Amino acid sequence: MTTAIELRGLTRHYGRRRGIVDVSLDVDEGEVFGFLGPNGAGKTTTIRMLLGFMRPSAGSARVFGLDAWRDASALHSRLAYLSGEPVYLGELTAARLLDHLGGLRGLPRGSWRPLAERLDLDVTVQVRKLSRGNRQKVGVVQLFMGNEPLLIMDEPTTGLDPLMQRQFLGLIAEARAQGRTTFISSHNLQEVERSCDRVGIIREGRLVEIATVQSLLGEHWRSVNLVLNAPAPSGAFDLPNVRQVMSSGRDVHVMIRGDVNPFLRRLGALDVLDVAITTPDIEDVFYRFYEGDVAGSGGRAANGATGGSPAGVVPVPAGGVDRPVNGREEAGR
Amino acid sequence: MTVSTLLLELRRSRTLVVGMAVVTLAYGGIMGAMYPVLAENQALLDEYMKVFPKEFLLAFGMTGTLTDPGVFFTTYIASWLWPIIAAILAIIIGTRATAADAERGWVEQPLATPLRRTSLAIASILDQGIGLLVVALATVVGLLVVGLAVAAPFDAGRFLLAVPALVAFGAAIAGLTMLLAVLTLSRGRAAGIVAGLLIAMYLLNVVVQIQPDFEALGYLGLFHYLDTTETISAGTLPWGDLAVLAVIALVGWGLAVWRFRTRDLVV
Repeated sequence: MTTAIELRGLTRHYGRRRGIVDVSLDVDEGEVFGFLGPNGAGKTTTIRMLLGFMRPSAGSARVFGLDAWRDASALHSRLAYLSGEPVYLGELTAARLLDHLGGLRGLPRGSWRPLAERLDLDVTVQVRKLSRGNRQKVGVVQLFMGNEPLLIMDEPTTGLDPLMQRQFLGLIAEARAQGRTTFISSHNLQEVERSCDRVGIIREGRLVEIATVQSLLGEHWRSVNLVLNAPAPSGAFDLPNVRQVMSSGRDVHVMIRGDVNPFLRRLGALDVLDVAITTPDIEDVFYRFYEGDVAGSGGRAANGATGGSPAGVVPVPAGGVDRPVNGREEAGR
Repeated sequence: MTVSTLLLELRRSRTLVVGMAVVTLAYGGIMGAMYPVLAENQALLDEYMKVFPKEFLLAFGMTGTLTDPGVFFTTYIASWLWPIIAAILAIIIGTRATAADAERGWVEQPLATPLRRTSLAIASILDQGIGLLVVALATVVGLLVVGLAVAAPFDAGRFLLAVPALVAFGAAIAGLTMLLAVLTLSRGRAAGIVAGLLIAMYLLNVVVQIQPDFEALGYLGLFHYLDTTETISAGTLPWGDLAVLAVIALVGWGLAVWRFRTRDLVV
Protein backbone atom coordinates (compact mmCIF):
# COMPACT_ATOMS: atom_id res chain seq x y z
CA MET A 1 0.00 0.00 0.00
CA THR A 2 1.41 3.40 -0.93
CA THR A 3 1.36 6.48 1.18
CA ALA A 4 -0.98 9.29 0.20
CA ILE A 5 -0.02 11.78 2.90
CA GLU A 6 3.32 11.91 4.61
CA LEU A 7 4.00 14.49 7.31
CA ARG A 8 7.44 14.56 8.85
CA GLY A 9 8.22 16.82 11.77
CA LEU A 10 5.77 19.33 10.39
CA THR A 11 6.04 22.53 12.38
CA ARG A 12 4.53 25.92 11.96
CA HIS A 13 4.78 29.01 14.13
CA TYR A 14 2.87 32.25 13.70
CA GLY A 15 5.47 34.63 15.01
CA ARG A 16 5.67 33.73 18.66
CA ARG A 17 2.38 31.90 18.61
CA ARG A 18 2.26 28.16 18.33
CA GLY A 19 0.73 26.60 15.30
CA ILE A 20 1.70 22.96 15.17
CA VAL A 21 4.87 21.32 16.44
CA ASP A 22 6.66 18.28 15.06
CA VAL A 23 3.63 16.55 13.60
CA SER A 24 4.48 13.31 11.82
CA LEU A 25 2.02 10.86 10.38
CA ASP A 26 1.31 8.74 7.34
CA VAL A 27 -2.02 8.20 5.65
CA ASP A 28 -2.26 5.32 3.23
CA GLU A 29 -4.00 5.50 -0.10
CA GLY A 30 -7.63 4.45 0.27
CA GLU A 31 -7.67 5.15 3.98
CA VAL A 32 -10.12 7.42 5.80
CA PHE A 33 -8.11 9.30 8.38
CA GLY A 34 -9.66 11.46 11.08
CA PHE A 35 -7.76 14.37 12.56
CA LEU A 36 -9.28 15.13 15.92
CA GLY A 37 -8.78 18.08 18.15
CA PRO A 38 -10.62 21.00 19.70
CA ASN A 39 -10.64 24.44 18.20
CA GLY A 40 -7.18 25.96 18.13
CA ALA A 41 -5.37 22.64 18.39
CA GLY A 42 -3.78 23.01 14.98
CA LYS A 43 -6.05 21.06 12.65
CA THR A 44 -6.63 23.85 10.17
CA THR A 45 -2.97 24.83 10.23
CA THR A 46 -2.05 21.28 9.29
CA ILE A 47 -4.59 21.23 6.48
CA ARG A 48 -3.41 24.57 5.14
CA MET A 49 0.10 23.21 4.90
CA LEU A 50 -1.22 20.04 3.26
CA LEU A 51 -2.88 22.23 0.66
CA GLY A 52 0.21 24.34 0.10
CA PHE A 53 -1.39 27.51 1.40
CA MET A 54 1.32 27.91 4.01
CA ARG A 55 5.00 27.06 4.15
CA PRO A 56 6.14 24.94 7.10
CA SER A 57 8.51 26.52 9.61
CA ALA A 58 10.19 23.11 9.74
CA GLY A 59 9.57 19.59 8.53
CA SER A 60 7.78 18.53 5.40
CA ALA A 61 4.36 17.69 4.05
CA ARG A 62 4.22 15.40 1.04
CA VAL A 63 1.09 14.29 -0.75
CA PHE A 64 1.35 11.51 -3.31
CA GLY A 65 5.07 12.08 -3.14
CA LEU A 66 4.76 15.76 -4.08
CA ASP A 67 5.93 18.54 -1.85
CA ALA A 68 2.77 20.27 -0.67
CA TRP A 69 4.27 23.75 -0.89
CA ARG A 70 6.52 23.54 -3.92
CA ASP A 71 4.27 21.38 -6.08
CA ALA A 72 0.97 22.78 -4.86
CA SER A 73 -0.58 23.32 -8.28
CA ALA A 74 0.23 19.82 -9.51
CA LEU A 75 -0.98 18.42 -6.23
CA HIS A 76 -4.28 20.27 -6.46
CA SER A 77 -5.20 18.36 -9.59
CA ARG A 78 -5.32 15.27 -7.40
CA LEU A 79 -7.39 16.51 -4.49
CA ALA A 80 -10.69 18.11 -3.58
CA TYR A 81 -11.07 20.28 -0.51
CA LEU A 82 -13.94 21.34 1.70
CA SER A 83 -13.43 23.88 4.44
CA GLY A 84 -15.45 23.90 7.62
CA GLU A 85 -17.38 27.04 6.86
CA PRO A 86 -16.96 27.37 3.14
CA VAL A 87 -17.23 30.88 1.79
CA TYR A 88 -18.67 31.19 -1.66
CA LEU A 89 -19.46 34.07 -3.94
CA GLY A 90 -22.95 34.97 -2.84
CA GLU A 91 -23.90 36.72 -6.05
CA LEU A 92 -23.56 33.52 -8.07
CA THR A 93 -26.16 30.82 -8.30
CA ALA A 94 -25.07 27.48 -6.91
CA ALA A 95 -25.03 26.10 -10.47
CA ARG A 96 -22.78 28.88 -11.74
CA LEU A 97 -20.47 28.50 -8.78
CA LEU A 98 -20.23 24.73 -9.14
CA ASP A 99 -19.58 25.06 -12.86
CA HIS A 100 -16.80 27.54 -12.15
CA LEU A 101 -15.10 25.40 -9.53
CA GLY A 102 -15.66 22.29 -11.64
CA GLY A 103 -14.14 24.04 -14.63
CA LEU A 104 -11.05 24.90 -12.64
CA ARG A 105 -10.77 21.20 -11.80
CA GLY A 106 -11.18 20.20 -15.42
CA LEU A 107 -14.66 18.78 -14.96
CA PRO A 108 -17.32 19.10 -17.64
CA ARG A 109 -20.15 21.55 -17.07
CA GLY A 110 -22.98 20.11 -15.03
CA SER A 111 -20.94 17.27 -13.60
CA TRP A 112 -22.31 18.29 -10.23
CA ARG A 113 -25.92 17.73 -11.29
CA PRO A 114 -26.47 14.08 -10.16
CA LEU A 115 -25.06 14.83 -6.75
CA ALA A 116 -27.05 18.04 -6.38
CA GLU A 117 -30.24 16.16 -7.22
CA ARG A 118 -29.36 13.43 -4.79
CA LEU A 119 -28.86 15.97 -2.02
CA ASP A 120 -31.96 17.90 -3.07
CA LEU A 121 -30.00 21.11 -3.60
CA ASP A 122 -31.71 23.92 -5.48
CA VAL A 123 -28.89 25.15 -7.71
CA THR A 124 -30.91 27.96 -9.27
CA VAL A 125 -30.77 30.09 -6.15
CA GLN A 126 -28.06 32.64 -5.48
CA VAL A 127 -25.69 31.29 -2.88
CA ARG A 128 -26.28 34.28 -0.60
CA LYS A 129 -29.95 33.37 -0.43
CA LEU A 130 -29.30 29.79 0.64
CA SER A 131 -29.61 28.73 4.25
CA ARG A 132 -26.41 27.77 6.03
CA GLY A 133 -27.23 24.10 5.66
CA ASN A 134 -27.82 24.46 1.94
CA ARG A 135 -24.60 26.40 1.53
CA GLN A 136 -22.89 23.50 3.23
CA LYS A 137 -24.59 21.22 0.71
CA VAL A 138 -22.98 23.25 -2.06
CA GLY A 139 -19.67 22.50 -0.39
CA VAL A 140 -20.42 18.82 -0.17
CA VAL A 141 -21.40 18.71 -3.85
CA GLN A 142 -18.26 20.53 -4.96
CA LEU A 143 -16.17 18.18 -2.81
CA PHE A 144 -17.54 14.98 -4.26
CA MET A 145 -18.36 16.06 -7.82
CA GLY A 146 -14.97 15.06 -9.19
CA ASN A 147 -12.91 11.92 -9.03
CA GLU A 148 -9.81 13.22 -7.33
CA PRO A 149 -8.00 10.49 -5.40
CA LEU A 150 -7.68 12.58 -2.24
CA LEU A 151 -10.41 14.35 -0.30
CA ILE A 152 -9.43 16.84 2.39
CA MET A 153 -12.12 18.18 4.71
CA ASP A 154 -11.87 20.63 7.54
CA GLU A 155 -14.73 20.02 9.97
CA PRO A 156 -17.05 19.17 7.10
CA THR A 157 -20.31 18.49 8.92
CA THR A 158 -20.50 21.81 10.72
CA GLY A 159 -23.96 23.15 9.98
CA LEU A 160 -25.35 19.96 8.49
CA ASP A 161 -28.55 18.54 9.86
CA PRO A 162 -28.54 14.90 11.03
CA LEU A 163 -30.10 13.63 7.81
CA MET A 164 -27.53 15.44 5.73
CA GLN A 165 -24.74 14.22 8.00
CA ARG A 166 -25.85 10.69 7.32
CA GLN A 167 -25.79 11.29 3.59
CA PHE A 168 -22.41 12.87 3.92
CA LEU A 169 -21.04 9.86 5.74
CA GLY A 170 -22.53 7.69 3.01
CA LEU A 171 -20.62 9.69 0.42
CA ILE A 172 -17.42 9.17 2.35
CA ALA A 173 -18.10 5.44 2.45
CA GLU A 174 -18.61 5.48 -1.32
CA ALA A 175 -15.37 7.38 -1.79
CA ARG A 176 -13.61 4.79 0.33
CA ALA A 177 -15.13 2.01 -1.75
CA GLN A 178 -13.72 3.76 -4.83
CA GLY A 179 -10.29 3.66 -3.22
CA ARG A 180 -10.09 7.40 -2.64
CA THR A 181 -8.16 8.65 0.34
CA THR A 182 -9.92 10.88 2.84
CA PHE A 183 -8.43 13.21 5.44
CA ILE A 184 -11.05 14.66 7.79
CA SER A 185 -10.34 17.16 10.49
CA SER A 186 -13.05 17.20 13.09
CA HIS A 187 -14.00 17.69 16.68
CA ASN A 188 -17.02 15.50 16.21
CA LEU A 189 -16.19 12.03 17.48
CA GLN A 190 -19.37 10.48 16.14
CA GLU A 191 -18.53 11.69 12.69
CA VAL A 192 -15.05 10.25 13.00
CA GLU A 193 -16.26 7.06 14.61
CA ARG A 194 -18.66 6.38 11.78
CA SER A 195 -16.38 7.22 8.91
CA CYS A 196 -12.72 6.83 9.78
CA ASP A 197 -10.31 3.94 9.80
CA ARG A 198 -7.75 5.67 11.94
CA VAL A 199 -7.63 8.78 14.01
CA GLY A 200 -4.89 11.19 14.97
CA ILE A 201 -5.47 13.40 17.99
CA ILE A 202 -3.77 16.75 18.11
CA ARG A 203 -3.36 18.61 21.33
CA GLU A 204 -1.96 22.12 21.57
CA GLY A 205 -0.27 21.68 18.24
CA ARG A 206 1.29 18.30 18.97
CA LEU A 207 0.09 14.94 17.76
CA VAL A 208 -0.51 12.92 20.90
CA GLU A 209 -2.14 9.81 19.56
CA ILE A 210 -2.73 7.81 16.45
CA ALA A 211 -5.04 4.86 16.75
CA THR A 212 -7.78 2.99 15.02
CA VAL A 213 -11.21 4.19 15.97
CA GLN A 214 -11.99 0.89 17.63
CA SER A 215 -8.99 1.00 19.85
CA LEU A 216 -9.53 4.65 20.68
CA LEU A 217 -13.05 4.02 21.84
CA GLY A 218 -12.24 0.61 23.21
CA GLU A 219 -9.67 1.94 25.59
CA HIS A 220 -12.02 4.56 26.87
CA TRP A 221 -14.39 4.13 29.76
CA ARG A 222 -18.06 3.57 29.10
CA SER A 223 -20.65 4.24 31.74
CA VAL A 224 -23.15 1.46 32.53
CA ASN A 225 -26.18 2.04 34.72
CA LEU A 226 -28.04 -1.06 35.88
CA VAL A 227 -31.29 -1.62 37.69
CA LEU A 228 -31.38 -5.13 39.12
CA ASN A 229 -34.25 -7.11 40.52
CA ALA A 230 -32.21 -7.75 43.63
CA PRO A 231 -28.96 -6.28 45.01
CA ALA A 232 -25.92 -7.67 43.22
CA PRO A 233 -23.84 -10.17 45.15
CA SER A 234 -20.45 -9.06 46.33
CA GLY A 235 -17.80 -9.29 43.62
CA ALA A 236 -20.40 -9.67 40.87
CA PHE A 237 -18.48 -7.22 38.66
CA ASP A 238 -14.92 -7.93 39.72
CA LEU A 239 -13.34 -7.89 36.32
CA PRO A 240 -10.02 -6.39 35.24
CA ASN A 241 -11.65 -3.87 32.96
CA VAL A 242 -14.61 -2.95 35.13
CA ARG A 243 -14.68 -0.37 37.87
CA GLN A 244 -17.68 -0.24 40.16
CA VAL A 245 -18.47 3.38 40.82
CA MET A 246 -21.64 3.16 42.83
CA SER A 247 -23.95 0.50 44.20
CA SER A 248 -27.09 1.47 46.05
CA GLY A 249 -29.50 -1.37 46.61
CA ARG A 250 -30.66 -2.47 43.20
CA ASP A 251 -29.06 0.46 41.36
CA VAL A 252 -25.52 -0.11 40.13
CA HIS A 253 -23.22 2.19 38.19
CA VAL A 254 -20.07 0.72 36.73
CA MET A 255 -17.41 1.93 34.31
CA ILE A 256 -16.12 -0.45 31.70
CA ARG A 257 -13.70 -0.29 28.85
CA GLY A 258 -12.33 -2.66 26.26
CA ASP A 259 -13.91 -6.06 25.78
CA VAL A 260 -17.46 -6.05 27.12
CA ASN A 261 -18.13 -9.78 26.74
CA PRO A 262 -16.91 -10.90 30.18
CA PHE A 263 -19.05 -8.20 31.73
CA LEU A 264 -22.11 -9.24 29.71
CA ARG A 265 -21.61 -12.87 30.78
CA ARG A 266 -21.61 -11.78 34.43
CA LEU A 267 -24.69 -9.70 33.72
CA GLY A 268 -26.40 -12.74 32.22
CA ALA A 269 -26.29 -14.41 35.59
CA LEU A 270 -28.24 -11.56 37.17
CA ASP A 271 -31.88 -10.57 36.92
CA VAL A 272 -31.58 -7.22 35.14
CA LEU A 273 -34.60 -4.91 34.96
CA ASP A 274 -32.94 -2.15 33.01
CA VAL A 275 -29.56 -1.27 31.54
CA ALA A 276 -28.23 1.96 30.03
CA ILE A 277 -24.79 2.19 28.43
CA THR A 278 -23.33 5.56 27.65
CA THR A 279 -20.63 5.55 25.01
CA PRO A 280 -17.79 8.00 25.32
CA ASP A 281 -18.11 11.28 23.57
CA ILE A 282 -15.51 13.67 22.37
CA GLU A 283 -15.19 15.30 25.77
CA ASP A 284 -14.41 11.98 27.36
CA VAL A 285 -11.73 11.19 24.85
CA PHE A 286 -10.21 14.62 24.97
CA TYR A 287 -10.23 14.50 28.73
CA ARG A 288 -7.46 11.96 28.60
CA PHE A 289 -5.27 14.15 26.51
CA TYR A 290 -6.13 17.41 28.14
CA GLU A 291 -5.53 16.33 31.68
CA GLY A 292 -1.84 16.24 30.89
CA ASP A 293 -1.58 12.52 31.55
CA VAL A 294 -0.48 11.28 28.18
CA ALA A 295 2.01 8.58 29.03
CA GLY A 296 1.62 4.88 29.29
CA SER A 297 -1.09 3.69 26.94
CA GLY A 298 1.31 2.61 24.27
CA GLY A 299 -0.38 4.74 21.68
CA ARG A 300 2.33 6.37 19.65
CA ALA A 301 2.37 8.77 16.79
CA ALA A 302 5.02 8.75 14.13
CA ASN A 303 6.96 11.36 16.05
CA GLY A 304 6.90 9.29 19.20
CA ALA A 305 4.07 11.06 20.97
CA THR A 306 2.19 8.68 23.20
CA GLY A 307 -1.38 8.41 24.23
CA GLY A 308 -2.28 7.86 27.87
CA SER A 309 -4.83 6.63 30.33
CA PRO A 310 -6.43 8.18 33.37
CA ALA A 311 -4.84 7.38 36.65
CA GLY A 312 -5.95 4.18 38.25
CA VAL A 313 -7.40 2.51 35.22
CA VAL A 314 -7.05 -1.15 34.58
CA PRO A 315 -4.95 -2.49 31.72
CA VAL A 316 -6.51 -2.46 28.33
CA PRO A 317 -7.31 -5.88 26.87
CA ALA A 318 -4.78 -7.31 24.49
CA GLY A 319 -5.12 -5.96 21.01
CA GLY A 320 -6.75 -2.80 22.23
CA VAL A 321 -3.97 -0.32 21.86
CA ASP A 322 -0.78 -2.11 20.92
CA ARG A 323 0.40 -0.41 17.83
CA PRO A 324 3.54 -0.22 15.77
CA VAL A 325 5.70 2.84 16.13
CA ASN A 326 4.31 4.52 13.05
CA GLY A 327 0.89 4.38 14.58
CA ARG A 328 -0.54 2.26 11.81
CA GLU A 329 -2.43 -0.93 12.38
CA GLU A 330 -4.91 -2.78 10.28
CA ALA A 331 -8.06 -0.88 9.89
CA GLY A 332 -10.95 -2.31 11.77
CA ARG A 333 -13.39 -1.71 8.98
CA MET B 1 -8.20 28.51 -16.54
CA THR B 2 -7.20 32.16 -16.51
CA VAL B 3 -10.02 32.86 -18.97
CA SER B 4 -12.73 31.43 -16.73
CA THR B 5 -11.21 33.17 -13.73
CA LEU B 6 -11.04 36.43 -15.67
CA LEU B 7 -14.66 36.05 -16.72
CA LEU B 8 -15.64 35.49 -13.11
CA GLU B 9 -13.65 38.52 -11.97
CA LEU B 10 -15.22 40.64 -14.69
CA ARG B 11 -18.61 39.46 -13.59
CA ARG B 12 -17.84 40.40 -10.02
CA SER B 13 -16.75 43.86 -11.16
CA ARG B 14 -19.67 44.34 -13.48
CA THR B 15 -21.97 46.26 -11.15
CA LEU B 16 -19.23 48.57 -9.94
CA VAL B 17 -17.77 49.26 -13.37
CA VAL B 18 -21.08 49.73 -15.10
CA GLY B 19 -22.30 51.93 -12.26
CA MET B 20 -19.17 54.05 -12.38
CA ALA B 21 -19.36 54.23 -16.17
CA VAL B 22 -22.96 55.42 -16.07
CA VAL B 23 -22.18 58.04 -13.45
CA THR B 24 -19.11 59.39 -15.26
CA LEU B 25 -20.88 59.22 -18.61
CA ALA B 26 -23.72 61.30 -17.19
CA TYR B 27 -21.34 63.69 -15.46
CA GLY B 28 -19.24 64.08 -18.60
CA GLY B 29 -22.41 64.69 -20.57
CA ILE B 30 -23.56 67.39 -18.19
CA MET B 31 -20.16 69.06 -18.33
CA GLY B 32 -20.20 68.84 -22.12
CA ALA B 33 -23.62 70.47 -22.19
CA MET B 34 -22.31 73.25 -19.95
CA TYR B 35 -19.37 74.11 -22.15
CA PRO B 36 -21.20 76.48 -24.56
CA VAL B 37 -22.57 78.41 -21.58
CA LEU B 38 -19.04 78.84 -20.25
CA ALA B 39 -17.78 79.86 -23.68
CA GLU B 40 -20.49 82.49 -24.11
CA ASN B 41 -19.62 83.99 -20.75
CA GLN B 42 -15.86 83.66 -20.90
CA ALA B 43 -15.15 87.25 -19.95
CA LEU B 44 -17.46 87.16 -16.97
CA LEU B 45 -16.07 83.79 -15.95
CA ASP B 46 -12.47 85.00 -16.12
CA GLU B 47 -13.45 87.93 -13.97
CA TYR B 48 -15.17 85.57 -11.52
CA MET B 49 -12.17 83.27 -11.32
CA LYS B 50 -10.05 86.18 -10.10
CA VAL B 51 -12.00 85.94 -6.85
CA PHE B 52 -10.36 82.63 -6.00
CA PRO B 53 -6.84 82.30 -4.65
CA LYS B 54 -4.23 80.96 -7.02
CA GLU B 55 -3.67 77.90 -4.84
CA PHE B 56 -7.32 76.93 -5.15
CA LEU B 57 -7.24 77.26 -8.92
CA LEU B 58 -4.05 75.20 -9.17
CA ALA B 59 -5.53 72.50 -6.97
CA PHE B 60 -8.19 71.97 -9.62
CA GLY B 61 -5.84 72.24 -12.58
CA MET B 62 -7.06 75.67 -13.67
CA THR B 63 -3.88 76.88 -15.29
CA GLY B 64 -5.56 78.95 -18.00
CA THR B 65 -8.94 80.00 -19.24
CA LEU B 66 -11.73 77.55 -18.60
CA THR B 67 -12.89 77.67 -22.18
CA ASP B 68 -9.65 76.08 -23.32
CA PRO B 69 -10.77 72.47 -23.95
CA GLY B 70 -7.68 71.04 -22.23
CA VAL B 71 -8.09 73.21 -19.13
CA PHE B 72 -11.81 72.50 -19.16
CA PHE B 73 -11.22 68.74 -19.18
CA THR B 74 -8.53 68.89 -16.53
CA THR B 75 -10.54 71.19 -14.28
CA TYR B 76 -13.76 69.23 -14.36
CA ILE B 77 -12.49 65.68 -14.76
CA ALA B 78 -8.80 64.88 -14.64
CA SER B 79 -7.81 66.93 -11.60
CA TRP B 80 -10.32 65.56 -9.11
CA LEU B 81 -13.01 63.27 -10.49
CA TRP B 82 -10.74 60.80 -12.21
CA PRO B 83 -8.33 60.37 -9.28
CA ILE B 84 -11.29 59.58 -7.06
CA ILE B 85 -12.85 57.21 -9.59
CA ALA B 86 -9.52 55.53 -10.29
CA ALA B 87 -8.79 55.15 -6.58
CA ILE B 88 -12.21 53.58 -5.94
CA LEU B 89 -11.78 51.14 -8.82
CA ALA B 90 -8.22 50.33 -7.84
CA ILE B 91 -9.06 49.78 -4.21
CA ILE B 92 -12.17 47.70 -4.75
CA ILE B 93 -11.02 45.61 -7.71
CA GLY B 94 -7.29 45.66 -7.01
CA THR B 95 -7.64 44.30 -3.50
CA ARG B 96 -10.52 41.89 -4.10
CA ALA B 97 -9.01 38.73 -5.58
CA THR B 98 -6.13 38.73 -3.13
CA ALA B 99 -6.62 40.49 0.20
CA ALA B 100 -10.40 40.67 0.36
CA ASP B 101 -10.92 37.09 -0.80
CA ALA B 102 -8.24 35.89 1.59
CA GLU B 103 -9.90 37.75 4.44
CA ARG B 104 -13.34 36.35 3.70
CA GLY B 105 -12.00 32.86 2.97
CA TRP B 106 -13.07 32.50 -0.66
CA VAL B 107 -9.55 32.44 -2.05
CA GLU B 108 -9.01 28.95 -0.63
CA GLN B 109 -11.67 27.51 -2.90
CA PRO B 110 -10.20 28.33 -6.32
CA LEU B 111 -6.65 27.92 -5.06
CA ALA B 112 -7.38 24.39 -3.86
CA THR B 113 -7.92 23.54 -7.53
CA PRO B 114 -5.14 23.37 -10.14
CA LEU B 115 -5.57 27.12 -10.66
CA ARG B 116 -2.21 28.74 -10.08
CA ARG B 117 -1.89 31.75 -7.85
CA THR B 118 -0.17 33.54 -10.71
CA SER B 119 -3.17 32.93 -12.97
CA LEU B 120 -5.55 34.27 -10.36
CA ALA B 121 -3.44 37.40 -9.88
CA ILE B 122 -3.14 37.97 -13.62
CA ALA B 123 -6.90 37.61 -14.03
CA SER B 124 -7.32 40.26 -11.35
CA ILE B 125 -4.88 42.59 -13.13
CA LEU B 126 -6.69 42.20 -16.43
CA ASP B 127 -9.96 42.88 -14.65
CA GLN B 128 -8.51 46.07 -13.16
CA GLY B 129 -7.24 47.22 -16.55
CA ILE B 130 -10.52 46.53 -18.31
CA GLY B 131 -12.51 48.27 -15.60
CA LEU B 132 -10.31 51.37 -15.78
CA LEU B 133 -10.50 51.44 -19.57
CA VAL B 134 -14.30 51.14 -19.64
CA VAL B 135 -14.84 53.91 -17.09
CA ALA B 136 -12.21 56.20 -18.66
CA LEU B 137 -13.82 55.76 -22.07
CA ALA B 138 -17.27 56.43 -20.62
CA THR B 139 -16.01 59.61 -19.00
CA VAL B 140 -14.44 61.02 -22.14
CA VAL B 141 -17.17 59.79 -24.50
CA GLY B 142 -19.92 61.32 -22.36
CA LEU B 143 -18.19 64.69 -22.46
CA LEU B 144 -17.40 64.43 -26.15
CA VAL B 145 -20.73 63.23 -27.44
CA VAL B 146 -22.83 65.77 -25.59
CA GLY B 147 -20.26 68.53 -26.14
CA LEU B 148 -20.21 67.93 -29.87
CA ALA B 149 -24.00 67.73 -29.90
CA VAL B 150 -24.18 71.25 -28.46
CA ALA B 151 -21.54 72.48 -30.92
CA ALA B 152 -18.66 72.70 -28.45
CA PRO B 153 -15.36 73.05 -30.34
CA PHE B 154 -14.04 69.72 -29.07
CA ASP B 155 -11.54 67.77 -31.13
CA ALA B 156 -12.59 64.14 -30.62
CA GLY B 157 -9.16 62.80 -31.53
CA ARG B 158 -7.41 65.02 -29.00
CA PHE B 159 -9.90 64.20 -26.26
CA LEU B 160 -9.53 60.50 -26.88
CA LEU B 161 -5.79 60.89 -26.36
CA ALA B 162 -6.65 61.59 -22.74
CA VAL B 163 -8.00 58.06 -22.34
CA PRO B 164 -4.59 56.34 -22.26
CA ALA B 165 -3.40 58.95 -19.80
CA LEU B 166 -6.37 58.36 -17.52
CA VAL B 167 -6.00 54.59 -17.76
CA ALA B 168 -2.24 54.73 -17.12
CA PHE B 169 -2.80 56.95 -14.09
CA GLY B 170 -5.44 54.54 -12.75
CA ALA B 171 -3.23 51.55 -13.51
CA ALA B 172 -0.39 53.07 -11.52
CA ILE B 173 -2.72 53.44 -8.53
CA ALA B 174 -4.03 49.92 -9.09
CA GLY B 175 -0.51 48.47 -9.28
CA LEU B 176 0.46 50.08 -5.98
CA THR B 177 -2.85 49.06 -4.41
CA MET B 178 -2.57 45.43 -5.46
CA LEU B 179 0.99 45.26 -4.20
CA LEU B 180 -0.09 46.63 -0.82
CA ALA B 181 -3.06 44.25 -0.79
CA VAL B 182 -0.81 41.25 -1.35
CA LEU B 183 1.77 42.44 1.17
CA THR B 184 -0.79 43.02 3.90
CA LEU B 185 -3.57 40.61 2.85
CA SER B 186 -5.83 43.28 4.28
CA ARG B 187 -8.16 45.29 2.10
CA GLY B 188 -8.64 47.87 4.84
CA ARG B 189 -4.96 48.48 5.39
CA ALA B 190 -4.17 48.58 1.68
CA ALA B 191 -7.04 51.00 1.04
CA GLY B 192 -6.01 53.23 3.93
CA ILE B 193 -2.40 53.42 2.81
CA VAL B 194 -3.32 54.10 -0.81
CA ALA B 195 -5.83 56.77 0.13
CA GLY B 196 -3.25 58.44 2.37
CA LEU B 197 -0.59 58.31 -0.33
CA LEU B 198 -2.92 59.79 -2.94
CA ILE B 199 -3.93 62.65 -0.69
CA ALA B 200 -0.27 63.33 0.11
CA MET B 201 0.65 63.24 -3.58
CA TYR B 202 -2.24 65.53 -4.46
CA LEU B 203 -1.15 68.09 -1.88
CA LEU B 204 2.44 67.73 -3.02
CA ASN B 205 1.36 68.48 -6.58
CA VAL B 206 -0.43 71.64 -5.44
CA VAL B 207 2.53 72.79 -3.34
CA VAL B 208 4.95 72.21 -6.17
CA GLN B 209 2.87 74.36 -8.50
CA ILE B 210 2.71 77.17 -5.97
CA GLN B 211 6.34 76.94 -4.90
CA PRO B 212 8.63 76.37 -7.89
CA ASP B 213 11.51 75.77 -5.45
CA PHE B 214 9.99 72.38 -4.68
CA GLU B 215 9.57 71.46 -8.32
CA ALA B 216 11.85 68.45 -8.04
CA LEU B 217 9.58 66.94 -5.41
CA GLY B 218 6.74 66.94 -7.91
CA TYR B 219 8.29 64.02 -9.71
CA LEU B 220 7.55 61.87 -6.65
CA GLY B 221 3.80 62.17 -7.09
CA LEU B 222 1.60 60.43 -9.64
CA PHE B 223 -0.30 63.64 -10.37
CA HIS B 224 2.78 65.11 -12.00
CA TYR B 225 2.38 62.56 -14.79
CA LEU B 226 -1.28 63.26 -15.52
CA ASP B 227 -1.25 66.45 -17.58
CA THR B 228 -4.36 66.22 -19.73
CA THR B 229 -4.30 69.96 -20.44
CA GLU B 230 -1.08 69.56 -22.36
CA THR B 231 -2.25 66.31 -24.00
CA ILE B 232 -5.47 67.83 -25.36
CA SER B 233 -3.89 71.18 -26.26
CA ALA B 234 -0.91 69.68 -28.05
CA GLY B 235 -2.83 66.77 -29.51
CA THR B 236 -0.03 64.30 -28.89
CA LEU B 237 0.32 61.41 -26.53
CA PRO B 238 2.50 62.22 -23.53
CA TRP B 239 4.80 59.26 -24.05
CA GLY B 240 7.14 60.14 -21.24
CA ASP B 241 4.38 60.46 -18.65
CA LEU B 242 2.70 57.33 -19.97
CA ALA B 243 5.96 55.41 -19.70
CA VAL B 244 6.50 56.46 -16.09
CA LEU B 245 2.95 55.55 -15.10
CA ALA B 246 3.17 52.25 -16.99
CA VAL B 247 6.42 51.35 -15.26
CA ILE B 248 4.91 52.09 -11.84
CA ALA B 249 1.85 49.98 -12.72
CA LEU B 250 3.85 47.08 -14.12
CA VAL B 251 6.33 47.07 -11.25
CA GLY B 252 3.49 47.16 -8.73
CA TRP B 253 1.57 44.42 -10.44
CA GLY B 254 4.69 42.37 -11.11
CA LEU B 255 5.79 42.49 -7.49
CA ALA B 256 2.23 41.73 -6.41
CA VAL B 257 2.11 38.60 -8.59
CA TRP B 258 5.51 37.45 -7.35
CA ARG B 259 4.63 38.02 -3.70
CA PHE B 260 1.21 36.43 -4.05
CA ARG B 261 2.86 33.36 -5.52
CA THR B 262 5.44 33.05 -2.79
CA ARG B 263 3.68 34.13 0.38
CA ASP B 264 1.61 32.24 2.91
CA LEU B 265 -2.10 32.70 2.51
CA VAL B 266 -2.68 33.41 6.16
CA VAL B 267 -4.76 36.31 7.32
